Order: sequence, then C-alpha cells, then structure tokens
Amino acid sequence: MRRFAHALLLALCVPAFGEQKTPPPPSPPRPIPWPAVTEKKLDNGLTVVMAPLASVPKITTELTFLAGRGTEYRTHPGVAQLAGRVLTEGTNGRTSRQLKEELRAIGGSMSVSVDDDATTITASALSEFSPQLFDLLGDVARHPAYAKSEVALARSNFASEIEEERSTPDFVAEEQLDKAIFGRHPYAFVVPEPTEIEKVTPEQLKAFAAARYVPNNAHLIVVGDFDPAAVYNQAQKAFGSWERRPLAAEATSLPTRRDKRQIYFVDRPSSVQSTIAIGALAMPRQSPDYMSLRTAHMIYGGAFYSRLTLNIREAKGYTYSPYSQVNLRRRSGSFSANAAVRNEVTGPTILEMLYELDRMRVAPVTKEELDAAKTYSIGGLSLELESQAGMASRINSIYTYDLARDFLQMFQTRLDALTPDDIQKAAAKYFDTYRGAIVVVGDYGQVKDQIAPFGDVVVVKH
Amino acid sequence: MRLRMLLFCAAVSAVAIGKPITVPVVYYRLPNGLKVVISESHAAPTVTVAVYYGVGFRVEPKGRTGFAHLFEHMMFQGSANVKKMEHAKIVESNGGNLNGSTRLDFTNYYETLPSDRVETALWLESDRMRSLDVSEENLKNQKNVVSEEVRVNVLNQPYALFEWLDIWQNANQNWFNAHNFYGDLRDIEAAKLDEVRQFFKTYYAPNNAALAIAGDVNPDAVRAMVEKYFGDIPLQSVPERPDVSEPQQTKEIRLKQTDKLASVPALALGYHLPDQNSADYAPMVLLDLILQGDESSRFYQRLVKEKAISIDWSGGINFELGNEFDYDGPMLLVSRTTYKPGHSGDEILKEVDAIVLQVQQQGVTKKELTDAKVRFRSNFYDQLESTMGKAHLLATFALFHDDPAQINKVLDTIDAVTLDQVQSVARKYLVPENRTAIDRVPEKKEAK
Repeated sequence: MRRFAHALLLALCVPAFGEQKTPPPPSPPRPIPWPAVTEKKLDNGLTVVMAPLASVPKITTELTFLAGRGTEYRTHPGVAQLAGRVLTEGTNGRTSRQLKEELRAIGGSMSVSVDDDATTITASALSEFSPQLFDLLGDVARHPAYAKSEVALARSNFASEIEEERSTPDFVAEEQLDKAIFGRHPYAFVVPEPTEIEKVTPEQLKAFAAARYVPNNAHLIVVGDFDPAAVYNQAQKAFGSWERRPLAAEATSLPTRRDKRQIYFVDRPSSVQSTIAIGALAMPRQSPDYMSLRTAHMIYGGAFYSRLTLNIREAKGYTYSPYSQVNLRRRSGSFSANAAVRNEVTGPTILEMLYELDRMRVAPVTKEELDAAKTYSIGGLSLELESQAGMASRINSIYTYDLARDFLQMFQTRLDALTPDDIQKAAAKYFDTYRGAIVVVGDYGQVKDQIAPFGDVVVVKH
Repeated sequence: MRLRMLLFCAAVSAVAIGKPITVPVVYYRLPNGLKVVISESHAAPTVTVAVYYGVGFRVEPKGRTGFAHLFEHMMFQGSANVKKMEHAKIVESNGGNLNGSTRLDFTNYYETLPSDRVETALWLESDRMRSLDVSEENLKNQKNVVSEEVRVNVLNQPYALFEWLDIWQNANQNWFNAHNFYGDLRDIEAAKLDEVRQFFKTYYAPNNAALAIAGDVNPDAVRAMVEKYFGDIPLQSVPERPDVSEPQQTKEIRLKQTDKLASVPALALGYHLPDQNSADYAPMVLLDLILQGDESSRFYQRLVKEKAISIDWSGGINFELGNEFDYDGPMLLVSRTTYKPGHSGDEILKEVDAIVLQVQQQGVTKKELTDAKVRFRSNFYDQLESTMGKAHLLATFALFHDDPAQINKVLDTIDAVTLDQVQSVARKYLVPENRTAIDRVPEKKEAK
C-alpha cells in the first residue's frame, strides 16, 4: 500500500535541483582536537595515563608490560604466551569462573594479548563500575594463581589453536615471512611447537609473571567517560602497594638484513589460491624514517585507492583485497605486501607486486598522490580516536615504543613536511625485495612453474 | 561472595534507571520516499554517511546466487559524474574511509570522514543513487574480484564459513533463506550487464532506501544538503517482496561434513528463532547471552572449562552477519565450536541438551538474568560508540520498522524481561526438532 502512495507522489514531484557534476569544494583543513592526556607516575614506577572520552558511559583500560612473546623463547618457548593467557584464569582470591562472573556483572570484558614487545591486559566495563574494574585488573595483574588444572587446560587448548591457525593460509604466510626476515632474532618467533608447550610448567609461569609483570615494567592507559580524580584514586588503590622489582635487562640484539632475495613456498595441497607475502626488514618504530615509510606504504598498498589495488584488483582482477603493512616494533620491524590470488595468476601477480614496489623506488610519487596520502593519514588518525579502544591503543603505542610525548600533536606538522623525494628514499631503502623474501602458500604442484622464473625456491612442508 | 553479589544487583538497577543514553534522532521522508535520519553528537569531530538499500542476498534472483553482492561491487565502478575508483579516491583524499556490504536484507554503502566533509559524502552517495555507469569491461573485472573474494573467504579456508553458509542452507526450506548467499562461482560468472542495470532500476530507488547521517553535524545544515542532493532523484516502483517465510521445522537435522583444509574438527548448530516483533524475542536475546554471551556463560563453562571438549565457543543471533535488529525475515540462533580431536559432535550436542534441559526445568537464576541485562547494555553501548555503529542501527530501524527512534527503546524492552519468560522461550525454541547441526571433521589425509 505504501508503495502505491509513492507512485502517486511521483506525478506530483517536480525536480527542484539539477544534478551537480563536481564534488562540493573542500573546506580548509582544520586542526584535530587531541585528547587531553594526563600522565602520572606511582611511587613504584607504574606510569598511569588518563584521557577522557565521553563517547559512551564506559571505561577502557590497557595495562601493558614490556615482555614480548620472544622473551625466554630459546629456553622456554611459549612461556610468555602461556603466562599471558592464564592471567585471566584465576587469582589467589578468585577462581576463573568467579572472575568471569564478576566481569559479567559489570558489563566488563578482559583479554590478554602478547605481541613481539609486550603483554597487554585490555579491560573495559560500564563507567559506573570502574572501582570494581580496577579491583579485578589489580588482582589479575598482581596475584595470578597459575593453578595446575588451568595451566594444563590452557596448554592443551593453545596447542590445538596453533594447529587450527596453521590450517589457515594467512597465518602460515605470516609465520614463514617473519622467520625469513628476522632469522635468528626473537622477532622470528611467532608460536611454539605443540610439543614444546607441553613442557611449560606452572612454576615457570609463576616465575615469569613475578619477574616481568611488575609495576616498573608497565604502563596503564585509561580512556573513557570518567572522573579523572576518582579513577586515579582507584588506580592507586589497585596498584599503589605493588612492589617494584629489579628488571632483567632487555635483549638488545638486532636482526640483520638478508644478503639476497629468497623464495619460500609452503606447500598446502588442495589450495585454490596462492597466498603471497613479499617482505623485507625495515627499522624500529622510533626511527626518524617512520613518517616517510608509513606514507610510502599508504601510496603503495595502505589505502583502497592505492597503486597495488588499482593494478592487481581494479585493472587486472587477480585478487580481492591486496594490501601492504608496516609492522614496526621496539628494536626492528618489517614491511610486507600481500595478496591472495587464484592459482592461474600466481606468477603474473608476483610480477606486478614487485613492479609496483620497484616503481616506488626508482621514480618519485606525484604531488597529488602525496597530498591525498597526507589527508588520508590525518583523517585516519582522527577516526581512530573516535572510540575508547582506538584512543587507548594509539596512546599506548607512545609508551610501548617510547615515542615523544607530543607524538600526536606533532603528527600533522611532520606529515606536512614530507616531499616526494622523502617517499622515494624511504621506498628505496625499505621496499628492497632484492634483500627480502617472497613467501607463497599454496598448491605447489599446481603453480611451481609460475614461481621458478623468480629465482631459487625453498619448498617448506606444511 | 554472596554479600558482594547482592551489592552488585543493587548497583545494576541503579544503572538501569539512573543513566540511560538518549540518542538524538531527527527523522523524516523526502517526497521521493527516501527515509532520512540525522543524529547529532560531538564526542569526536567525525561523521558517518550511510545509505541502506532495502535489498540483500535473501531475495536475490533465483539462478543468480551471489548477485546482490556482485551488484554491491558494481556500485563502486562509476556513476554519471564519478568515474571508476573515483569514489574511493575522493573519500580517502578527504581523510575518510569507506566500504559497502551485503547482508540478508539490506546492502549498505558508507563513509566515515572528518565532519566538515559531510557534504562531499552526500554528493557522492546521491550521484550513485541517481545513476549507475557500468560497462562489460567493469563487470568482467568485478566478477573476477568477487570470485577471488569467495575463494579467499570461503573456498580456500578451513571450515568454509559452514557456521552460516551451510547452516542456513540446511536449516531452511524456502529458497530465499536456503541458497548459497556468498554465491556459486558459476552463477557469478553467468551474470549479465542487463541484469546489473535491471537490478539497479528495480531496487536502488530512493523509496527503497534509508540515509543515515550520524556525528558531529548540525541537523538543520545537513537537512538542507540532503534536500539539495537527493531531493530530485525520482522514485521508482519497487516490486512486492517475495514470501520469505519459513515453514515450521518438525524434525532435527544432523549432518556430517568432511573438510580438506581443516586439521581440527568443528561443530555448528542453529535453532529457528521467534519473530523479531514477538514477545518471545527479547527473552531469547537474553537467553542467548546467558548460554553463550561470554566466558561465564553456561555453554562455555560446561564445554570449554568443565568437560574440556571444546577449544572455543562462539555464537549468537544473526551470527557473523549482523546483530539482533538489522534483518527482516526468518532468523537463526547459531553456535560454533572447534573441538578436540578424539571427541565428537554428538558428545557436544548431548551436553548442549543437558544444559538446555536444566534451563527448561529450573529456569535461569535471578543473578544470571540481571547480569545478562547489564551485559546487553554494555554491548549495546559498544555499538552506539562509533558514528558508523550508530548510523547502522538508525538506518536499519528506519528501513525495517520506519521508526529509528526505536534505538532509544531497546534497553527498556530488554530490562522488562522476566525469569518466567526466559524459561518459557527455552522450552519453546531450544528443542532438537527446531535444530540443525553440522559436524565438520578433517578429511583423513592419505599416508605420505
């Protein structure tokens, strides 16, 4: 019936405006309102950073310890990941189940991630319950129980998860690329072997937690709808009496660049696509090349309107979602270009990916490309800051990577200063696949003839 | 502990009454039938512009599985004044991001940008609502791209999204609910340019769409822009929706599948749900949270922790496709679990039935219900936090119920649910005759 009424309206509706052929003129760029960040330090060395964001009546916290997954990986592979994983499975005063029921009662969530440099407990709740949230967070961080039964269950589930992850081509490609780029450096370690996990004991986990989860090795980021004075008191109550401990010195070894390109093929029979990752060693997050490499990556494959997408998706139709990524960490980092393509076009895709990488290295980007990448980057940053989780993670990176405290405020100024020459130099240095690696995960029998022209292939058993 | 729980309950009811969020809603229709929702908020200097068309993969043409989604890709291939890829270029060079997606009952196109660029987004969306400029070459290109999307997300992945693609195809009888939503590669290949143009003409009409603008904007100023860009797009006659209703299931369906790419077995199950507008719906939403809403839930605690059969547990209403509100037609409550080799899907179903039986006989506890309401509120706020999350709810409430202000009534409806209602819906819907389960196990690898 409603549709009939519209059909009647059609006759009466006279167009009032013609279509406009060009986009409305852009308004002048405006400064981003940066979060009002307050930084305090407790006597025990814990850095507490608070930034209000009243997007919704919730509060989000990130408690980060500088203990990455490669910590102690040579002696106890997987110890850092298991120690993090079992943190939320019970404390000296609460069973795992009690903890989860208390979280439920405050609309809360708590999860632990362990990456190359850090272990982070991310927790959130409704604002009304922030005292309870800090109470739980403090208990989890300071008094993990590592009960025998919980450790046994976590070991078994972690081993099964690794097996499951290794059946997905993206994970296999990423793991192989990290090994190829970082060699014998701890950043090459992604996950332990299932047989190694069985050997990790509750005592080792307790020792790991006692040594690494300490206030003078940590920072706490709090973002959300809250009263800063009240929240600071809650943080003090939860963490103030936590004793500082001497820290083991952080390993400072650096990975070395490969001396030539190497192709690794991980044979995964029955694959209907080749999952391709081409990468090379980059630099630490603190490097002054950060802005130029990041921008080069945006132009190459870090946006939808990027050279890689225009070429292998929109012109050639080889792939759905090609992308590049820059993964910079405390001591080093990597760049990679990625695409999943049907078997028949594996060779042609590698050719185009390499061509676009080299094009960035031998010729300057256009001013139009650079300007677009700058506006996209600055806009992207303000979109990240729209949510509590986004803002917490962005602020956290300043502390995890020891960046200048005015990193956000200076972001636009440093971006504006970049020239096409800066971008070309960064690409020349870091898109150097002649000293990098090409990883392909797929059905080797189906595509090996397409790979051979690119050089020697090491075939890895899946 | 008991005292502590009581205190929590008191605090919870204070939250429920004390601090509701009200989302500002300006809602009207243009003379051409376009539904327009504007919601002003200034927490961040951003805005989302989202157009939702009232057609999804549920009602795509027979013999053309995957067509609604293929069509979505064609909406990025150019319109009268915006060339192929220019849409992305303009949005990104204005500091925004963009995407489109195809779901059961809508297809959406959206961009989130710094809020001073709102007019640019409205111009872009109006241009492709008014006109679509597609060619044989572009269609061929996007058939390739979409086929790769199906390969990367389905055919080259372990489990191949069986928890929605296969569960929906097997749990339902009406073709509209039971076809391959991502699309058969042969159907995608067979699509013709005329069909693309016809689909645009049929469904992409202002009177079959909702436009939502949420964020740091002045509603009056935006209203004038909407009038300027969308006011003269002519309405079209949109066909009546086909009958998408689903006959009552009368017998349990159990299937076994083998998987060439998986190394660990998995189980998925789905129950038909009551209608979204029925009184049983809100209790079902809370029962879902009590059974599988988080790691304190009954399924997780029993299967992952106590019995240690499952490695993980996830699930929900409109699982992997959307939320409790953004659809219009038959729906399933789905669970998915990866489990340890050496166990079986039957073992898990036996535990599921035992847990459900307990709820059917004894109901859930008062604390579970109270906590589930808090859990729901917290999750709901997560959806409201970003301008896109808000625009999404507003657009779907406008599209399906002609009432985006429902966004402000959801929490009251949930808070009103009683213990008896939860027990009653467990008895009515969580019965084996209403269930489809698929046990998916790794194909035995031949000895090497």
